Amino acid sequence: MADDRGFNVPTTTTASAAAAIPSGDGTVWTNVSNLLSSACNELCDGELIHGDNFSLFAAMSALEIMDPKMDSGMDNGRYHSVDEAIENGAAPVPLSFDKTMDVICILDIMDHLLACEATWHKGHSLAQTVFSCTYLMRLDRTSAHPLLHSFCRLVRATCNVVISVVSEARTHEEEDLFTIAYGLPLGGEKGDTFLSTLNAVEETLCRQMRACKSPAAKKMVVEGTWTADQEPLQTNPDLEEGFCRALLCRLRFRKHYYHLLMCMKKPQGRGFELARKHISSCLLELQQMQKSAEFLRSIGCLTRKDTVPMETTASGRHPVGFDANLNIRSSALAPPRAIKTLSWDMAFEYFKKLLHDLDVICSFSLDPLLENVLQFIVEFQKLQPDLVARAHLHVLLIQGGKLYGRDPVFFVMCKASALPESMKDLNIQKNEAVVQLGQCLINLLKILCTNVAWQRRKLGKVLQDWRVIYVQLEIAFREEFGEFSGISDENVCMKLARHILIWVEEQTYWIALRFLSLGFELELYSSNEYCMVYWYLYVILVKLAEKTHLKQLSAADSAKRKGKKKRDSVMDTKDYRIPPAVMLLQCYICLAEGLAMMLAAMRNELKLFQHVGPFNTEYERFVQHFEHLQKACLPDHISYHSYKDYTAQARLSTLVTYNHFKDAQKIVKELKKSFANDPDKMAELRSIEQVAERNNIAINVINRVGALDATLKISLEFTYHPIFAVAVVKRS
Amino acid sequence: MHLVDQELSEPYSIFTYRYFVYLWPQLCFLAFHRGRCVGTVVCKMGEHRHTFRGYIAMLVVIKAYRGKGIATDLVTRSIKVMMESGCDEVTLEAEVTNKGALALYGGLGFIRAKRLFRYYLNGVDAFRLKLLFPRPDLQPSLQTLAYKDEHDYQIPIEGCSTNCSKF
Repeated sequence: MADDRGFNVPTTTTASAAAAIPSGDGTVWTNVSNLLSSACNELCDGELIHGDNFSLFAAMSALEIMDPKMDSGMDNGRYHSVDEAIENGAAPVPLSFDKTMDVICILDIMDHLLACEATWHKGHSLAQTVFSCTYLMRLDRTSAHPLLHSFCRLVRATCNVVISVVSEARTHEEEDLFTIAYGLPLGGEKGDTFLSTLNAVEETLCRQMRACKSPAAKKMVVEGTWTADQEPLQTNPDLEEGFCRALLCRLRFRKHYYHLLMCMKKPQGRGFELARKHISSCLLELQQMQKSAEFLRSIGCLTRKDTVPMETTASGRHPVGFDANLNIRSSALAPPRAIKTLSWDMAFEYFKKLLHDLDVICSFSLDPLLENVLQFIVEFQKLQPDLVARAHLHVLLIQGGKLYGRDPVFFVMCKASALPESMKDLNIQKNEAVVQLGQCLINLLKILCTNVAWQRRKLGKVLQDWRVIYVQLEIAFREEFGEFSGISDENVCMKLARHILIWVEEQTYWIALRFLSLGFELELYSSNEYCMVYWYLYVILVKLAEKTHLKQLSAADSAKRKGKKKRDSVMDTKDYRIPPAVMLLQCYICLAEGLAMMLAAMRNELKLFQHVGPFNTEYERFVQHFEHLQKACLPDHISYHSYKDYTAQARLSTLVTYNHFKDAQKIVKELKKSFANDPDKMAELRSIEQVAERNNIAINVINRVGALDATLKISLEFTYHPIFAVAVVKRS
Repeated sequence: MHLVDQELSEPYSIFTYRYFVYLWPQLCFLAFHRGRCVGTVVCKMGEHRHTFRGYIAMLVVIKAYRGKGIATDLVTRSIKVMMESGCDEVTLEAEVTNKGALALYGGLGFIRAKRLFRYYLNGVDAFRLKLLFPRPDLQPSLQTLAYKDEHDYQIPIEGCSTNCSKF
């Protein structure tokens, strides 16, 4: 029954609905349709119901615009359910009774599914990408079509593996969408049984490809005189080889991709060697797929529907059986983003990058030394890996609360603190503060595997945790080791306490450095804030270098005490060299201080890179940017006033004479000998050299002509290093 | 509503407008030129985790009227009301690619406090921008802020609005 507004209002509750939810002891079902209808009729256009539990905020939040479950104005497309689509012939099986067309249609489905999968990985919902395929939504319908059926089962199995890896790792906010599979038919596969069907299909295709090359086989096809085991793929003998190749490379790519993911799931990197072989095979098959595009476009299979060729298929045809709106009513809420499926070319680029990133993970030697693990993660993040790659790294690093599922956290911390292996058996590891420190470390490794935007926010917050744990450890060590009375025990305990506390401080400053550095990558600083950022970076780097050096000295000292000369300090020996890691930090110190002073001088003398706003001052911006560091007292006694005092007297003429950039260049020259066999470090040293050289030149130029030439424009560019800018001087 | 619908990428329902404009009319400003609405700012303020915070929800100026300081004026007026109402800070989100908005807010003293991955419906990242008002109790040695004179912010067009009328 329709009311005045044209809404269809049911007047009776159906018997089945009533039976489904029976009345309770104090409740009874009653039909309120007429009451609702009258209430609706009383409301005029623009009026809104007010109620205690329905505020303006509730009214705003209740609507999910563009979600058809909440937004009745959304045009949902042709069909409202998968079943309706199937009943109306949207996903025929077979796709065509003409075998050649059937093969072409299958190839289109395979290609579009690849594009959908890449689109899903890039941040859209599974329901509206991969599972926009009607054949996947009702997989049992394809069982009489072995090629399509086995391919779909393989896609489903791959999705399951990827979801399980990403679920195990940490996802946050926008990335939480990835694992939502509500209402999707992802189950139903027991073990790897689909692989045997797939292998059979692959064997048949190989036979068909071999057969099509013989003239006798071609004659059989033309005359239609083949036997059951000689049946060709399709009926055009001239196209048989091309089609077989096109199908084989697509099947094989998927198969190797599945095996790669299964190998990477094995704990402690046991499957990495085989995984790398599957990666190579995947890349080869991707190449074959790209080659097949030319063949598919040349056979002229576009129809009237394909006036604008599709970008998601090699043939350019619209694939059969896809509708992104079909399961939108039954799936979980997703942001109402317009789904633009990645093009086939972009999907290729995505998978090539994913394979490359996974290969980097598989090449990792599972180094037990924490500083090398951290270095690996930082370098890996420079590749800008997507969620799936990052999830694999996370799962490799942390398993069962241990590093790689192999090394207990206390053991890792002892090694990081440069303590001998015998320490790992001490009972101190059961101490609550030490256990919490282990948790902090595990948490840090997990955070470092997340997307850098979220990562930076989290790193800022954990700084205080690390400071608190330092204090708790000091107390714990004092309490615990107070029980030991023997002299040798006391030495061991004091050594452990000293080493671990130094390491905790070093690690805390490392986190602070990462927090500040990521601000550049995320473009969080404007140019008039660089001065204070470089200054704070300089302060943190000084402390980090101090702690790193102290740790290495303590380690060397402890080792020396076991030798003959027990009393002399390591630094007293005439051939003592500052460790290369510390020297590298000294380079960064020079660059950071140099940039801070250069920018301060330009501000003091030329009024550049400063900002005067109507509502606040530089002080408020300083407090905001460094809030987490200040709360954690990193370091102690550092404030905005320290920054102002340090930079107030900066002058270009002084910087020309005492030049931090020249110091950096000297250290780089020395370091090149130490890092000669490390290509990554050598590249880093070259970048530092470029930054130092160019800034040195810029200071000289600006000092000579800066105040006199009003046409000079000075900009800061990150051409040589992502963190340390170069001043570029041009005439406008 | 039409102005915002036309110019902003995020879709809002009428209930969204009601929520902001009915509860915080003093924070909503419209700019008119010859009887036509050419720009608007829509805001709110309230307690947020122990701070009293202003939030700029929408800021729009139609294309033909951009580059004249209208947006800066609209935002400045709303921020002044927030400041006078006792807000500790003001915040908003802006697309990382929106250079104009970032320059506008940067010029007013906002910093980019966070980057939000794929915040918008079009998949673009956002910056959370924050302006912290000075707190004299923390920095007594600082000089009081010198605010620009009122007349610096008047738009040289007729019919400049104050608070918005009801939808």
